[in-house]
Amino acid sequence: MNNNVQERVIKVIAEVLERKESEIPLDASLRDNLHLDSLKQMTLFILLEDEFERTMPPDDLMGIVTVKDIIDFIDRKLQEPATP
Amino acid sequence: MSRRVVITGAGIVSSNGIGVDEFWRNCLQAKSTVAPIPEHWTRYADPHCRLWSPLPEINPESLGIARTERLQLDPVTVLALGAAREALERAGFSPAPVAGSSRAFALPGVNSARTGVFLGTGLGGAITFLQNHTYHLLRKPRADLITYAEKQDPTGDRKTLENILPLMTHGTRFNPFEVSMVMPNASAAAVAIKFSITGPNATYCVACASGTVAVGNAYRAVRDGIVDIAISGGCEYFADEHGHIFRSFDVSGTLVRDCADPATANRPFDEKRSGFLFSQGGAAVFVLEELEHAQLRGAPIIAELIGFAETFDAYSMMRLAPGGGQIERMLRAALADAGVGAHEVDYINAHGTGTKNNDETESEVIDRVFGKSVLVNSTKSLVGHAIGASGAIEILVTALSLRDQTTHICKNLEAPLRDLNFVRTVEPHDLRVALSQSFAFGGHNAAVVLRRFG
Repeated sequence: MNNNVQERVIKVIAEVLERKESEIPLDASLRDNLHLDSLKQMTLFILLEDEFERTMPPDDLMGIVTVKDIIDFIDRKLQEPATP
Repeated sequence: MSRRVVITGAGIVSSNGIGVDEFWRNCLQAKSTVAPIPEHWTRYADPHCRLWSPLPEINPESLGIARTERLQLDPVTVLALGAAREALERAGFSPAPVAGSSRAFALPGVNSARTGVFLGTGLGGAITFLQNHTYHLLRKPRADLITYAEKQDPTGDRKTLENILPLMTHGTRFNPFEVSMVMPNASAAAVAIKFSITGPNATYCVACASGTVAVGNAYRAVRDGIVDIAISGGCEYFADEHGHIFRSFDVSGTLVRDCADPATANRPFDEKRSGFLFSQGGAAVFVLEELEHAQLRGAPIIAELIGFAETFDAYSMMRLAPGGGQIERMLRAALADAGVGAHEVDYINAHGTGTKNNDETESEVIDRVFGKSVLVNSTKSLVGHAIGASGAIEILVTALSLRDQTTHICKNLEAPLRDLNFVRTVEPHDLRVALSQSFAFGGHNAAVVLRRFG
């Protein structure tokens, strides 16, 4: 896992949820623990698209449950070319 | 006796400044921002008009709007929220964060159910619609064209395509929040959500009269006891990426045609006027309050609202009816609502667009109803025409003129089209009653009447 990616993802999640970064554990469930509703989820992935310059279509996000799932997903995305 | 209604706070974002103090100082100094339209707009069209009045650089975070909120708000709503915050603070309210959020506020000491929001806008979130439509239309064809171009001879077709591709710009995504950003009621809803206001929430889409009609209806709601406080005004934002909205007004023949000298191109009520100066947009928002409610909490009072009326021409979508009969009827109704005679009106903030049709009819009606002694100016001679925001911007000027007993000049007026008492210099006046009027595409006419307070 890329620590730089981890820091950046947690920072964006904290921004969307209006919480401290220390309150975003890696194993937290986005929905059940962090109460990330569907509207906040859309906001989160827009900000992550901008942060990492990769497109993240909704279909690609299936199966993401925890904070760590997002970080792994971004790691994989970074192997792809940047959004033009 | 009906309840009295006063303006206790105001906020503004305009091409003449952000914030009431900067705006009013610039107005009294006859400052204007007139600039060439963005150069890249002329790659899509060859407009007759080449000038506009751009807004200052705006940092949404300085207006209290976080990045996560901005993603879900059209620029018009960002402007409205900024103006609303200033108005509330100037009225003496201290928005306090709602528990668990740094982005939503409550207004301590305010009965939110007895507070309403009444905003006007011409096109609402049109910018978001155009941005998303451009993405919808161009993203796939552009990607295909790039792939195709890469396979062509660098000195032949590829070079041609590389000249075309930069014109096919589009945003980075189809914004999933589009519907709630485009809808015209989004700005009024956002203001109420931001400040936890649960009373009536209304949006007035009346083109160039939107701001005036919104404030007029807010005035009635306070006067008639529906609410004690009304947050009211107008907002507009017209700078789409490709200059589409500018082109719409340009092809309809409404914009300034004679652009040779940017400093004097915009000249309402002058014989040499050639159209209105397109504004990037703006917002002006007021706190209207029932008088005793305001006095009990020691609120500052800028001016009193005493009358409102509106009529409809039923004549043409884009032209004032010759003779201005419905404008006259509207004015007489507004004066009756205010309980004042035409001879008691000291100052009129005119619609004063600078188009041939408007200024001719408007000046004729002013002469007929009020005579030649009433002071007249056009705020659009300074800031251009911000459509749905314009009426509210002009009501702000009218209120500040009553407060300070002076007003700004009618800029670039050299040869008045009619012998009226146009404001030519900034000097002290005895202003007791004033009126601000707006007319709109469709055929709407509206005016509010204000009185000096104290």
